Amino acid sequence: MATSSNSLAKKILDAVFFREIWGAMKVTFKHMLHRPMTFEYPREKRTIPDAHRGALGLLRYDDGKERCVGCDLCEAACPSRCIKVISEEDKSLPLQRYATEFYIDITKCVFCGYCVEACPVNALAMTKVYEFSTHDKRTLLFDKERLYDIGERYLDDAKKYLYAHNQEKEGEESVAYRYHFPVPVEKSQDS
Amino acid sequence: MGLKPVTSSDTEATTIELTLDGETVTAKEGVSLYDVISSTGKIVPAMCYHYTFDPFGSCGMCLVMQEGKKAPVRSCTAKAAGGMIIRTEGDDLFAARKKGVEKHLSVHPLDCPVCDADGHCELQDMAFEHGVTDLANAKQKNIPEDTRSLVLDFNMNRCIACGECINICKDVQRIDALQFMKKGGFTQVVAKGDQTLDCEFCGDCLAVCPVGAITNKYSKYAYKPWQLKKTTTTCNYCGDGCQMYVETKDTEVTRVTSPLSWKNKWGDRGDTVNGHGGLCVRGRFGFQFIDSNARLKSPLVRTESGLKETPWIDALDIAAGRLAYVKKTYGEQAIAGLITARCTNEDLYVFQKFMRTVLGTNHIDSSSRYGHVNFVRAVQHALGATRMTNTSEEISRAQAILVIGANITETNPVASLRVKAALGVNKAHVIVVDSAQTNIAALASHPSLVKPGTEGLLIQGLIKSAIQQNLIDEDVTQQSPQAFTALQQAIEHITLEHIAQQTGLSVDHIHEITKVFAEASRSLILCGEGILRQVNGYHHVLNLIDLLWIMGKIGKPGCGINTFTEEANEQGAVDMGVGPEFLPGGLAYTSSEAREKLSNIWLTELPPENQGSTLMDILKQCRSGDIKALYIVGENPLGTLPASCEVEAALKNLEVLIYQDPFMTETGQLAHVVFPATTFAEKDGTVTNQEGKVQFLRPIFDPLGESAMDWHIMAGIANGLGSSLDFEATNDVQREIMKVLPGYYNLGQPAKVQVNPDPYLRNEYVNEVSTRYSQASNDAKSQRPFMLKMIQLIYHSGKLSTQASGLLAIAPNTKQLHMHPEDIERLGLVTENQVRITTDHMSLELGVKADLSIMPGSCSVPEHFNDPPVKDLMTIHVDPDTKVPYFKQTHVTVEKI
Repeated sequence: MATSSNSLAKKILDAVFFREIWGAMKVTFKHMLHRPMTFEYPREKRTIPDAHRGALGLLRYDDGKERCVGCDLCEAACPSRCIKVISEEDKSLPLQRYATEFYIDITKCVFCGYCVEACPVNALAMTKVYEFSTHDKRTLLFDKERLYDIGERYLDDAKKYLYAHNQEKEGEESVAYRYHFPVPVEKSQDS
Repeated sequence: MGLKPVTSSDTEATTIELTLDGETVTAKEGVSLYDVISSTGKIVPAMCYHYTFDPFGSCGMCLVMQEGKKAPVRSCTAKAAGGMIIRTEGDDLFAARKKGVEKHLSVHPLDCPVCDADGHCELQDMAFEHGVTDLANAKQKNIPEDTRSLVLDFNMNRCIACGECINICKDVQRIDALQFMKKGGFTQVVAKGDQTLDCEFCGDCLAVCPVGAITNKYSKYAYKPWQLKKTTTTCNYCGDGCQMYVETKDTEVTRVTSPLSWKNKWGDRGDTVNGHGGLCVRGRFGFQFIDSNARLKSPLVRTESGLKETPWIDALDIAAGRLAYVKKTYGEQAIAGLITARCTNEDLYVFQKFMRTVLGTNHIDSSSRYGHVNFVRAVQHALGATRMTNTSEEISRAQAILVIGANITETNPVASLRVKAALGVNKAHVIVVDSAQTNIAALASHPSLVKPGTEGLLIQGLIKSAIQQNLIDEDVTQQSPQAFTALQQAIEHITLEHIAQQTGLSVDHIHEITKVFAEASRSLILCGEGILRQVNGYHHVLNLIDLLWIMGKIGKPGCGINTFTEEANEQGAVDMGVGPEFLPGGLAYTSSEAREKLSNIWLTELPPENQGSTLMDILKQCRSGDIKALYIVGENPLGTLPASCEVEAALKNLEVLIYQDPFMTETGQLAHVVFPATTFAEKDGTVTNQEGKVQFLRPIFDPLGESAMDWHIMAGIANGLGSSLDFEATNDVQREIMKVLPGYYNLGQPAKVQVNPDPYLRNEYVNEVSTRYSQASNDAKSQRPFMLKMIQLIYHSGKLSTQASGLLAIAPNTKQLHMHPEDIERLGLVTENQVRITTDHMSLELGVKADLSIMPGSCSVPEHFNDPPVKDLMTIHVDPDTKVPYFKQTHVTVEKI
């Protein structure tokens, strides 16, 4: 009986002094005193680490030449089958292979980065872009033009990605990635 | 030929025993050790080995340990001997083979990502298998790429000098267009003399190249093997019926590959008698017509403003309505149909059934009328068979082959390899009678160049010579003494001197070739367009059968008479009964037994037996107005027959012309209704090759546009006419063909041809034989000095191949007259000159080209192009017996402009 009269008095006191509300407000007041844990996305953005796997982009060499040789190894490596490469001989530069069309269906992409790993010329790289929301899902099928656009716009990020994944090497060593396409017999005879 | 078994068609090699990895194995003496090992199912890696030619021993991968020897030996070049103890596995061998791979890789460019062979490369496989990851002292060759050839690129940086390309070209193709040459410190494969590659472009070198050193220009860099869908189908260009793999990306044909490849390198060379699995230039590089933009994609119906695209349902309704109108107004006899022999058996069967039962007419014909019917009718008349009497295996094993009037390397390049094998491997005597210096004549033991148009005459000379030299088989001729006497009487007036003078051969030469042919135990005849498409073709084939008969070679194993067909399914057209004189099975249309059987299956009566017109008669009746409706399936009579036939007038005179084809042609332009048909590549069905093998066509993708399979269109028109043919799928048609012709499919293995000359020799022979030999002295000398011939090129087949851009790149329409250099000089011409060719009724202008294969006094033009219309120069003769139109050669004057 004593315990029940005790608990009753406690209840009354708690009700009079709004004790529970004070308990809850304590957390609120505590938070007023230290820095916020969230930030105001999309006005503020998080710093992304270099190794982050975001949207894919295609890169060019420093002289503006397309790196991609249309070898299709990215398509072969892709576990979600979101890449499609169509290649051809470059008519203006005989004996050179290049991709006439290059599609990445980013809605299917699982951002595993295997394609970048498979690329023998480091033409593909991942950037820090991760915002894909759109009103038209069709815009998420990236074509060659769009991919080169991403590669150009986020070139620094792409380069950083490649270095972070230990794929691109500094200076002279990076030249080794370029292919030396042979010249036609006739041309070599002319020269 | 040292390392292949000493077994030939006549002798058997002795059997030896040796020990392989502890097991005793028996083998034939003289066989390569590698063959013995692979025959037990063990796979020893080898990059330069292929069963179709002699071991070359350049790759150094097929190492095995032989007891008693310190170092590993190359098993391919080692001869298997009795008592050998061989070990094929072990760490030491693995290390030695790995060293071999490293040796190759150290000078390999490692440009796999851009290489076309990536994923289909033996060196890549070997490197993976042997775990080669690190290369010391690797260097680059930096050899420029040879892109001078029209179809092949040679990237010698990637070459491993295995020599497969050179060996297959030399030993199988016997063309020998490639060679090794040491340039820049590396052994490279180059075209003969380091010139631009100029060969038949069969592409077998491309097929056997285990790396990416030889690449296909038409699909270069356009694919990776794993992107392509591979469909096995049968080539539609000629009667050889080669199996091929069409490789596609969605609705685009990327390339064509052959069963011949470095991947299936194990086999017995003896197996190549049935084909080595390769293709020719047409099959391998002439695929572009399949997905061509020129394809008809939807039905067209003639309106006042020309042909207009129309929905299928309306077009079918119009076609059926007009046919019904003609049938009702003018009767069944006013309807006729023509079909191409490139269609499948199912198309051909449904066509003749549709024409005969639904429309009730027997005016049907196929393009086998242009020559093959001569052969079929002659063989049927004299021997009771309906196709060539030998198998390709028998051709390979023959001891003597008479190739008469057949430029087989141009018309049927892959089948000609059987003759080349007989000639090269079995050392057969090959007698080539032709009026041009053909490629097969260059290889033959007895090339016999005759004057144009005298091939048929020479047959009579051969028979005369056989009788004079007493090379006849008396046991056989005694069985039909009357017939033999009649034959002797018939050729009495022929003198060999006259024939020698007419043909341009010497009497001794005629005697010799007769003797060689008669004395061989397995001798056979191969006749071609020079016999079948020339005046009196039917009689000439019968004369050839006489030749076989008096020499006692009819029905003997390995002997017989054969022909190769120009279009893919000419044999099938006969077997399916397309032709007014045939019923399915090649039976005579008048045979009452066969008619009854067929009408029981079809549940309807056949058109009366006295009816039925052939191609030329159909056109004549169109002109005269007796035929009002013509249904043309894939044929183009306007583009094929000379203008003197007045085909255009005939077609314009029609009330209804229904035309169906994958492409628009001159004939199609005149049509009232045009249906878009599919090419062979989208068809599901079978074709019968010249040998009688029934082979499958498999669809590589869905029909392009709105096009449909030929028999579907026929079934659609039949439905429109209110009589269902009751075929839903190709299987249903096949089931009915099996009912009509039991055993026709026979799992692709042709039934053996049974020949029996006795009924013919006993009955009609005596009366007929005198007429056949009466043309001997018929040589009306023309005022015009040159013989103009329309010839087939290896790079083309009919008009179909002119839709294939790849073949046009190799052999464009040069608008040139091919002449012997002597004639060119005599006329005072240089290469830039134009000449005027004149016949009695017209003349036209052409360029001129020196061609050593042409005989002086004759000239030729490829028949595949109608621009300028050389065919219109031709006069036309129609065979009185078989109604075959002959229009391939004529006398002309050639003058400088």
